[in-house]
Amino acid sequence: MPKAATKRRALVCLAMILVAALYLANTRAAQQKEDVMVTSNALGRPGGTLTLAVRSDPKTLNPVLAVDETTREIIDCMNADLIHINRETQQPEAALAKSWSISHDGETYTLHIRRGLRFSDGQPLTADDVVFSFQLYLDEKIDSPQRDLLMVGGKPISVEKIDDYTVRFHLAQPYAAAERLFDGLAILPKHLLESAYKAGTFAQSWGVSAAPDQFAGLGPFRLKEYVPGQRIVLERNPYYWKVDGTGRRLPYIDTLVFLFVPSEDAQVIRFQAGDTDLLSRFSAADFSVLQREQAAKGYQLEDLGSGLEYNFLFFNLNNLDGKNLPAITRKQSWFRDVRFRQAVSAAIDRDGIVRLVYEGRATPLWSQVTPGNKLWLNTALVQPAQSLEHARELLRGASFSWSSSGALLDPSRQPVEFSILTSSSNAERTKMATLIQDDLSKLGMNVHIVPLDFQSMVARLLNSFDYEAAIMGLASGDVDPTSDMNVWLSNGGTHLWNLTESKPATAWEAEINQLMNEQLVTLNYGQRKLLYDRVQQIVADELPVICLASPHVLVGASRRVGNFHPSILEPSALWNIDELYVH
Amino acid sequence: MKYLARRLAYAVLLLGTISIFSFALLQWAPGNFFDSMRLDPHVSAQTVNAMRARYGANGPFVVCYAGWIRSLVKGDMGYSFAYGTAAGPLLWTRARNTLVLTASGTLLAWLLALPLGIWSAANKGTWGEKICGAATSSLMTIPDLLLSLILLLLAVRTGWFPTGGMISSGAANASFWSEIADIVRHLILPVAALTVSILPMLVRHIRSAMIDALESPFIRAARGHGIPRRRLLFVYALRAASNPLITLFGFSIAGMLSASLIVEVVLSWPGLGPLMVQSILARDVYVVIGIVMLSSVFLVAGNLVADVLLFVTDPRIRVE
Amino acid sequence: MRRTYKFWITLVLLAGFHLAIFFAGFLAPYSFSAQNRDFSYAPPSRIHFVDSHGKFHVRPFVYQWITVAHRYGSYEENGQKAYPVRFFVAGAPYKLAGIFSSHLHLFGVDTPGRIFILGTDDYGRDQFSRLLYGGQISLAAGWIAAAFSILLGAVIGCLAGFYGGWIDDVLMRGGELFLALPWLYLLFAVRAALPLQVSQGQVFLLLIVVIGMIGWARPARLIRGIVLSAKQRNFVTAARAFGASDAYLLRRHILPQTYGVMLTQMTFLVPQYILAEVTLTFLGLGVGEPMASWGSLLASLQQYSVMVSYWWMFLPALLLIPVFFGYYTLADALQERVKSVAL
Repeated sequence: MPKAATKRRALVCLAMILVAALYLANTRAAQQKEDVMVTSNALGRPGGTLTLAVRSDPKTLNPVLAVDETTREIIDCMNADLIHINRETQQPEAALAKSWSISHDGETYTLHIRRGLRFSDGQPLTADDVVFSFQLYLDEKIDSPQRDLLMVGGKPISVEKIDDYTVRFHLAQPYAAAERLFDGLAILPKHLLESAYKAGTFAQSWGVSAAPDQFAGLGPFRLKEYVPGQRIVLERNPYYWKVDGTGRRLPYIDTLVFLFVPSEDAQVIRFQAGDTDLLSRFSAADFSVLQREQAAKGYQLEDLGSGLEYNFLFFNLNNLDGKNLPAITRKQSWFRDVRFRQAVSAAIDRDGIVRLVYEGRATPLWSQVTPGNKLWLNTALVQPAQSLEHARELLRGASFSWSSSGALLDPSRQPVEFSILTSSSNAERTKMATLIQDDLSKLGMNVHIVPLDFQSMVARLLNSFDYEAAIMGLASGDVDPTSDMNVWLSNGGTHLWNLTESKPATAWEAEINQLMNEQLVTLNYGQRKLLYDRVQQIVADELPVICLASPHVLVGASRRVGNFHPSILEPSALWNIDELYVH
Repeated sequence: MKYLARRLAYAVLLLGTISIFSFALLQWAPGNFFDSMRLDPHVSAQTVNAMRARYGANGPFVVCYAGWIRSLVKGDMGYSFAYGTAAGPLLWTRARNTLVLTASGTLLAWLLALPLGIWSAANKGTWGEKICGAATSSLMTIPDLLLSLILLLLAVRTGWFPTGGMISSGAANASFWSEIADIVRHLILPVAALTVSILPMLVRHIRSAMIDALESPFIRAARGHGIPRRRLLFVYALRAASNPLITLFGFSIAGMLSASLIVEVVLSWPGLGPLMVQSILARDVYVVIGIVMLSSVFLVAGNLVADVLLFVTDPRIRVE
Repeated sequence: MRRTYKFWITLVLLAGFHLAIFFAGFLAPYSFSAQNRDFSYAPPSRIHFVDSHGKFHVRPFVYQWITVAHRYGSYEENGQKAYPVRFFVAGAPYKLAGIFSSHLHLFGVDTPGRIFILGTDDYGRDQFSRLLYGGQISLAAGWIAAAFSILLGAVIGCLAGFYGGWIDDVLMRGGELFLALPWLYLLFAVRAALPLQVSQGQVFLLLIVVIGMIGWARPARLIRGIVLSAKQRNFVTAARAFGASDAYLLRRHILPQTYGVMLTQMTFLVPQYILAEVTLTFLGLGVGEPMASWGSLLASLQQYSVMVSYWWMFLPALLLIPVFFGYYTLADALQERVKSVAL
């Protein structure tokens, strides 16, 4: 027997040299050594091509440098992470790490990497690759946008190789959702990137124009071809580390094509024509149009209910000393009065927003957590309906009055007039502003809408603070409250309504700070939930942001796509791309 | 020759001025590429500042401009913040694609507009000509965007034409001729949109230039001499009308890189248009300047071509 | 003779149309910004003479739309109560020419009834009222922008043509420079730099004026050409020989020659600038909510969902084609007149 086994191994070796080891992975000998992950999805049919449209070209194919959503969506199909958030259960699950353990103090994570895995170029994955990848993410000179994620308690996470298949991560303090940090952090091949990194040219490597043979990843697909302005074609990674119930290696699909279609309308039209197989991020109006021909065309359409995006109106509460903006400073005496903000909130017809902006495909909001986030939503919050009466009462209580022509006057008898900034490229938020303008005119407020292109708007929000109120939306990438830390901490970079705080400006902001920091280091879910419930309550009462609505996640797939289980977490249609198949 | 040299010198001077003005404008416009990154709750302000500093986006005007000139000499044309690569290579392929589209569109429009314009000038006042005039005027009132969308819808409903892109996935490996055939199939829709949007203006101009020529005394004299109508139209009148037409042709060339912006966006043609909109909105300044410079080159070239042609065809200018 | 006839017909029709736009407040039954949130994308009201019982009424009436249960944007008529169309009714207050306040409207129905003769938009606003009010902004913008283009073009074209030499070179190359600049960027920059309190209508007028100011290069070229040829006319040479000053020559002999071209260009540019707003809206620079303008009415058609769902959204576009057509016809007719005068 041993003799036969040696012979066999020798034969395999020979085959490897001859056929570049393409089918080696399928032989049983290799599979026993390889720690594959067995999925529980419905069995699919192998082969075929899946086509979808994205808004623009990917900006880079380097996972360490990718910033925008489209780029990440494409890169994620070619890479894998150690621990992955299951988009369906919203819980972290084993990916490249087969298992992990947490020390008692919650500061040390030990991850066991699957054995025998290979990159898409056939080279093996070891702990060295993991350590190397984190070295890249953490390198200050590379400025990876992921770097800030990996700062825990103000210090970067440290990584240490224990053996070829074990790595240990040290955190400066306990961190509640530490496993979730690993989601989306692609593990990169040291053998391909080390020389560029050492030469200091890492930032230029893996750009869009690099040749396919320079890439290797652990995702279900690998790069085949990139045609600027037209498409990027990915092919099946024959070394992918997941198999289905029958032991067949995933993914099922042979070829994945991303077409670059810059306008949303054109994307919808091409999906309707059957040119593309998947469609996501489209408006409710387009959903209705698609629905009308659904029976004839036979595509699948799903309204998954509210996602994680929350849209809100907020006032400029920044400290404007030394900014020379006297008009805004004067109006801040209204904006800072919670009764004024409550009156505005009470006057807003959220149902109207849901109906007119989203054709009913949205959920009205009174606080920042959307109903789509089932784990963290505070269901005890009251959801008061629109009441102009209540709004007037609040204003009267804050010494506002009305002129004979019905215009609202502030305590010093000045007419109440302010402007709302919106992004002109976002039709939905501009529409919300138009509805709010009409609502507030019933209170006697004279509101202007100022639509600006996104960058100009951002410049006002973040740099000059030359605005009075604005409508924005944020979409957390994850359900966990830690992903929104920078929004709620008073010194956070996305604490939009007041970016000038060196210390909390109000008692309730101090309380939010304390609650957010406490939930960050609490490991028990129940306790964290109580803390975050309180944060939601404060936001609903004090209204630093006046939440409006959360749009539903809408997705479509052609009839030929199997295993289509979209999720409200991004990428909603693509998260199980390795399990999708075509009939 | 001396004339040509002088015009070339002007052109270079003009391009230089355009680049300085564009740079100044871009510096003055509020917002910059890196700011919007700060809205991502995961990215800290420090990281954003570090990136800005690294890309030299903080420097004063003169430093930025000098850096750009240096990279222009290298052929990089500056650096795209969004793509993390030199801007030049991003632009070349897209400029080529745009040219394929606009050149065929412009050519087709001229080929259609010349006979149409001459015909309607020759048959001025007849019912057929009036209908033609009404049709061109109505076409002028349809915005480009609506036209492109309607064509896209037509393509979808009929399934006759590809609905976007330039080359099908498989075609790149096929033979040269089938690749050309594939590109032509993809061209039909955007070229139709482009042609329809520039045709009415051309027809109007050609018509009015021809009418001017036909009504001039020497044509009347020629007609009196019994020169055949066809010869009169295509040889005598057309030559007399050529002066404004050549200027118009120059405008056509000048607009080569900018005429098809909307068509490209709606019909997903992989040209400069979508890139231009994206980079303007994202404040990817060097890409914007790159596109502006490329279109300026065409603008200058268009005017140059027109002037040279006028110089060749119009004896009066030669004498001056 | 027939040609003059056509010219006057067009002129009268256009004048009538402009008058209607001027009296928009009176002709429009509602304000351009009045939202009816229960009538989002309601089709045009049907004008009835015969009621549901088969009885004939001399005074036309409308039924109200009600939403078909659970189907967004589908309406049916509620035959329960008829709302007769009344003339010279009191309604929302408005100002004519910004001075005379009134609340008299040409027609309307009793509240809570509504009459939408061209249907409504996404906020349930009356498209007919928006078309009329939108005309005020669009025509003003078109005329002002065209005037700026022509004025600048005339000044620069005259100077370049009259003096020639290096002045001509500098001015004409400057024109090329203007054509090449990234004007889109300039518009974004201007829009973003404006103070917050500037109203949407003013912002839009300003943007259009900027476009007009950028657009001087082509008229300037045309006018320069005319000046060049006028300069060589015998009477100009004669006047110069008599010692006429440059200013006198320009004013008395050369400028009058360019009036025709200027007028023709003007009628030609007005619709061009009105349509330019459609592209501006596509880039987010159009007239902002809740203002109405023709460009924004046309622009809403550009959404695929609107285009294939709500046919009445095409009506403003159809009604505008004759107006633009009128302008182009006028331009043609003017051009011919100019020529016949010149000959």
